[in-house]
Amino acid sequence: MRVTCSQEHLARGLSIVGRAVATRTTLPVLSNVYIGTDDNRLKLVATNLEIGITAWVPAQVIEEGATTVPARLIEDLVKQSPAETIELEMSNANELGYHCASISATIRGIPAEEFPIIPTSETTEGDVVTLPADLLKEMISQVVFAAATDEMRPVLTGVLVKFEDDTLTMAAADGYRMSVRGASVGAAIASPVSVIVPARALSELARILPADTSVDVILAPTRNQILFHADDMDLVSQLIEGAFPDYRKIIPQTHKTRTVVDTGQLLQSVRRALIFARDAANIVRLRFEPGNGLEGRMVVSAQATEAGGNEEVLPAAIEGDAMEVAFNGRYLVDVLSVMHSAQTVIETQSSSHPGVFRPANEDTQFTHVIMPMHI
Amino acid sequence: MPIHILPPDVANKIAAGEVVERPASVVKELVENALDAGATDIRVEIAKGGQSLIRVADNGCGIPADEVELAFQHHATSKVYDADDLFAIQTLGFRGEALPSIAAVSRVTVLTRPREQPAGVELRLEGGKVVARRTAAAPAGTIITVEDLFFNVPARRKFLRTVATETSLIAEIVSHYALAYPERRFTLIADGRTTLQTAGSGDLKDALLAVYGLDVARHMLMLEEPPDPETGIGLFGAIGGPALHRANRKYIIFFVNGRVVRSPMLTTAIAQAYQGVVPTGRHPFVVLDIQVPPDQIDVNVHPQKLEIKFARSDEVFRVVQRAVRRLLVEEAPVHQFSRTIEVLDDTDEASPSPAHLPPEPLDENDVRVRLFSPPPPTGHPTRTTWVPSAPPPAPTTPTPPPDVGGTKLPPLRVLGQTMLTYIICEGPDGLYLIDQHTAHERVLLERLRKQRARQAVPSQRLLQPLTIELTPQQMAVVEEQREALLHLGFDVEPFGGLTVLVRAIPEVLKHKPDPAAALAEVIDGAIHDRSGLSWEERLVMYAACRGAVKAGDPLTHEEMVDLIRQLEQTDLSRTCAHGRPTVVRLSVEQLEREFGRR
Repeated sequence: MRVTCSQEHLARGLSIVGRAVATRTTLPVLSNVYIGTDDNRLKLVATNLEIGITAWVPAQVIEEGATTVPARLIEDLVKQSPAETIELEMSNANELGYHCASISATIRGIPAEEFPIIPTSETTEGDVVTLPADLLKEMISQVVFAAATDEMRPVLTGVLVKFEDDTLTMAAADGYRMSVRGASVGAAIASPVSVIVPARALSELARILPADTSVDVILAPTRNQILFHADDMDLVSQLIEGAFPDYRKIIPQTHKTRTVVDTGQLLQSVRRALIFARDAANIVRLRFEPGNGLEGRMVVSAQATEAGGNEEVLPAAIEGDAMEVAFNGRYLVDVLSVMHSAQTVIETQSSSHPGVFRPANEDTQFTHVIMPMHI
Repeated sequence: MPIHILPPDVANKIAAGEVVERPASVVKELVENALDAGATDIRVEIAKGGQSLIRVADNGCGIPADEVELAFQHHATSKVYDADDLFAIQTLGFRGEALPSIAAVSRVTVLTRPREQPAGVELRLEGGKVVARRTAAAPAGTIITVEDLFFNVPARRKFLRTVATETSLIAEIVSHYALAYPERRFTLIADGRTTLQTAGSGDLKDALLAVYGLDVARHMLMLEEPPDPETGIGLFGAIGGPALHRANRKYIIFFVNGRVVRSPMLTTAIAQAYQGVVPTGRHPFVVLDIQVPPDQIDVNVHPQKLEIKFARSDEVFRVVQRAVRRLLVEEAPVHQFSRTIEVLDDTDEASPSPAHLPPEPLDENDVRVRLFSPPPPTGHPTRTTWVPSAPPPAPTTPTPPPDVGGTKLPPLRVLGQTMLTYIICEGPDGLYLIDQHTAHERVLLERLRKQRARQAVPSQRLLQPLTIELTPQQMAVVEEQREALLHLGFDVEPFGGLTVLVRAIPEVLKHKPDPAAALAEVIDGAIHDRSGLSWEERLVMYAACRGAVKAGDPLTHEEMVDLIRQLEQTDLSRTCAHGRPTVVRLSVEQLEREFGRR
């Protein structure tokens, strides 16, 4: 193999695939990055066997070939090389020669044959749905935080990704809260598909997706994989097997009190309340006091037996019964931070029923459910 | 067989059976008589576990010559005049049963002389009948000699245990009274050997020293509660610190107005007070005289007067439990490092690695810690042993000592974590090692208890109810203790068969991988716990245990600092809920000594 490419392109490509490099592994080749020629491009691949990322870098291929080299090493070397042309040359199967400006280096690697074959958008067949990358990133940000982190119920460490008619729905839950985000994707899909994607895979996807582009979602459920393709990169993820809880049954259909409140103000108040709630199980109480039109008051408070307590009053439009519901303040911060709407709608039923949080602009199909705390 | 009145000797033997069960009961009755007689020096001499000889000699008031025979009649006593007296008994005996009962089943010789009479009387009885009487020279007081106990009741003799057992039972009785009456001098001579001798100085510490020895006595905390003007209940005695515990309850001794009593109620009060102070399944040392106005108790409910009825038992329970708990919280000293530190030679290749340390010791006295290894000149392992100095005498006023003897830890600086189990900290007076699990458990337990007291245990509802299969035993607890579980934050509902629906869990368990399984574990812990505490208490204990970080959990520096900060604010921060130590201190002096700086 002998290729030349620009330092900037190679550095960017390596930083994208670097997200998938296995950090603690017993398989040494997984801490390497695959570098190989592919038509007139350089193909970079990294995987931790849960997700795989492929990136293509424009290059001049003089001689075909492929190898793998330690990912951290080459990434650091390229990053600190000057912005000039880099030449990569394989003297033998285990050694990659590196030349950039006055730099000459050799990197010992592992033959490419030992690297697992990672499917790409070019080799995978399945239903394809195309949607704007920005939309997908927003949807991911609104659900991933609600996924569980412990492995006791594997299904809950994933995000439900469901295509039905022309709607994509994502849902995640950790047993105490749930996020559901839907969006129209324009074209209808032949038959409904739903899969569970590891939350970590989606977090990585949101990080590497470029803005202002479109993403192809390729579903290959028979192969137990989902693939995302944008511009010159692919991310493929294993799916989690199992049945995701029926999110529609969890979203309460009725409410007794409906509150509209400024998202930013509420977020700030909850953050301040959390200072006091820190030693009191993070319990933040929301009290809804209805009034005429915008005359309603929403009281955010926290009590800590030793530290003291605080109380803040926010103006709010409240319809229905007065009530007080206690929530884990961190959960409130999590959801309010991704509300992406100037105002938030909160629907409550009683102190022991779930609270429903939605953005006030109705075009966004975002619903977040938090189970209350009891004291 | 026609019904007939029993001949007197049979009736006497039956009556004797109730009072005189074994040699120890004879000793008890005679010692009580001596105490009632105002004796200040009581000598008990026994041979062959009391079967062949029991002699109790006192310097009390003696029996006037013309009343000696009367003393051996049933229901003859100088201690009670009329029925009303029975409800305000100030003496240990009152029924006039002891002497006739003892005389009925043995050969008794009594030699007695009241101080003001010039000569004494010697009376001999066999099987309850007087066989000899003479005037004799005698020291002031009474000497009663009981020989050949049960010579005429072979059945009873058969049931006696070994000489060693009977001797130890007698020693127990005598030592109990020695502790109850530190101002009187007790001597016990068994088969010619003096096995117990108290000074009679009036200082309970001296009596404790004589009865239990130095190791126990110096860990005892003195307890004195003057009688409450309203209830008249007062306490006097000594209780063991957290380091002092035994496998059985034999060392929990109660007196009520100077009378040795057994009382499950009082034992429970002690168990509650010691909860979390001594390890589960272990029992503390307690010697407690409870002073109650005589008209508030009924001692006439048990043939051997071992049990007692309190008119206001709730009151007594509360006073005992609170006073003991308060003293423990105030005085409990930080668990000191081992008494024996083995210093190993590190040039010795074969020296065991820390992973091969001896298993967790059962008794604080046995702790051996291998610490560090200054090379000894011999090249062989050496061992230095020292006995830490006795704790300073406990003040009887409830002012917490200013230094580490107080209820809280001193401010600590976290240095790091070792073996993913212990947090190493520096304090003003040495190095502290803190068990992360027990520390967190203690913090959670304290928090849960406070929250439960306010009926405010935070509970997190579940998005979807979880179902869990229980064992029949666990299920029974769920059904019986649903209220208690609810107070703790478990909203649980039977769901047919052995399945339950969990709707909400205590907030402390939220971050645990499987909250529904936690329910089963908390219940199991409470089922198998033998602390004798209420269900609610036990459930709280095990919820705290389940919610706490485990040994082996890596902690960040911030998490450790946070944990230590919370532990510093916790009462009784020294032991975990199961009584294992939370904090071990290596004092500056110990370090200096080890490094040869002093």
